[in-house]
Amino acid sequence: MRKRTKITMDPKYILMTIAIVCVALIIISFRFQDKMTPIRAAVGSVVTPMQRGINKIGLVVADGMDYATTVKKLAKENDSLKQQVDELSAQNRLLQQDKYDLDNFRKLYDLDEKYSDYPKVAAHVISSDGNWFNSFVIDKGSNDGLKVNMNVLAGDGLVGIVTEVNKSYARVRSIIDDESSVTGSFLKTSDMCFVNGNLKLINKGMIDISGIPADAKIKDGYEVVTSPVSDKYLPGILIGYARDIKTDSSNITQSAHLTPAADFSGLDMVLVITEVKDSGDLEDILN
Amino acid sequence: MRRYIYLLLLNIICFVLQATVFRHLHLGGVAPNILIMVTAASGLMYGRTLGMFSGVVGGLLVDAMFNSVIGLTILIYAFIGYINGMLNKLYFKDKLYIPAITIVLSDLAYGLLYYVCRFMLRGRMDFLFYLLHVMIPEAIYTLIVGLLIYMVMRRIKEYFNPEERVSLEEHIEMDREKII
Repeated sequence: MRKRTKITMDPKYILMTIAIVCVALIIISFRFQDKMTPIRAAVGSVVTPMQRGINKIGLVVADGMDYATTVKKLAKENDSLKQQVDELSAQNRLLQQDKYDLDNFRKLYDLDEKYSDYPKVAAHVISSDGNWFNSFVIDKGSNDGLKVNMNVLAGDGLVGIVTEVNKSYARVRSIIDDESSVTGSFLKTSDMCFVNGNLKLINKGMIDISGIPADAKIKDGYEVVTSPVSDKYLPGILIGYARDIKTDSSNITQSAHLTPAADFSGLDMVLVITEVKDSGDLEDILN
Repeated sequence: MRRYIYLLLLNIICFVLQATVFRHLHLGGVAPNILIMVTAASGLMYGRTLGMFSGVVGGLLVDAMFNSVIGLTILIYAFIGYINGMLNKLYFKDKLYIPAITIVLSDLAYGLLYYVCRFMLRGRMDFLFYLLHVMIPEAIYTLIVGLLIYMVMRRIKEYFNPEERVSLEEHIEMDREKII
């Protein structure tokens, strides 16, 4: 038998100590968000390299499996795509004419196209959390020029916002997260609204829109984009398409559901816009 | 000391697996919660202190990587580790139904506490929906994956402590001899 030299303490007291420390931590992290960064950085530096490695293996395996199953699918897809090419090239010709007109009109209106081209950085999603919330970790960090509050896209749609940056990784809260809220506006009518994540609706591929003015003339399928009023999201990014519009019981606002433009089910690659919205003027006004 | 290092490594490995591999193995939008299972199992196998230790490590990993508030998950996990540690006497190497029950109850307790702290307080009152669509599916999935990991953990425990190989029947036998 080994000699027992260690001091034994009643587990009850250890549990009480842990409870007190945890409550203190909760309070501290509520009041001072940035005081917690050393803890996060320490944990992250241990865990992220491993996650990155496993993710690479996973991608290789998934690619191999995909290869076998997709050959048939591709043949079918090829046929339908050929048809689409024909249709689209016909449409394209028409559109090109329209574009020529549009360019002229733009010049007339002196509209600059500053919103169409934000600088972007591509990043891989390396891990995501459990069933209650929707945030994930990407493999780019402050070394790649990322900052807190940068917007994240996938395809053409808004995915979320960077909430925390470390050297080699960053955490993103997605717009379908239950605690997320984005100020949006309808592209066609410029009516303001709030896009809120909702865990209950995610399974159906939808989130909530609330606070649409009652007199807004909107229809199912209208695009919702980020509003210029939002203090964190850059204006003009597509969030998704509205549906199930109904008037609230108060008769002052309407609410609806929204199908996000980005596909959240198989999120692997995302684009981070390396431009933070400058809301300094806004803060000046508010102060 | 060896056990602390073992549980630390086990928790880190399980966390990495959960955040990467099981992200792709969703069933109906729900992933298993292996960390709560590891905490429950280490409490059951090694007692209150190590159960708590496992819970603190697992909770810290989850909080530091994914939550805006650090401490809540640690607290819940530590309590679950402690309570499972009180059931340490029920650990018999050949019975799987005891860990099965504790894993399911632990996961449900975690889901319930988490719902109350993070959802109900924000006015999401539809408890039944969350129970049926998140908590129960998660508990079932966790149970299936958890029992596999539990068997691996049991094998490791037997390897390091062969003298503790006691099954329920042997236990009853020993008790009987004592009485006689």
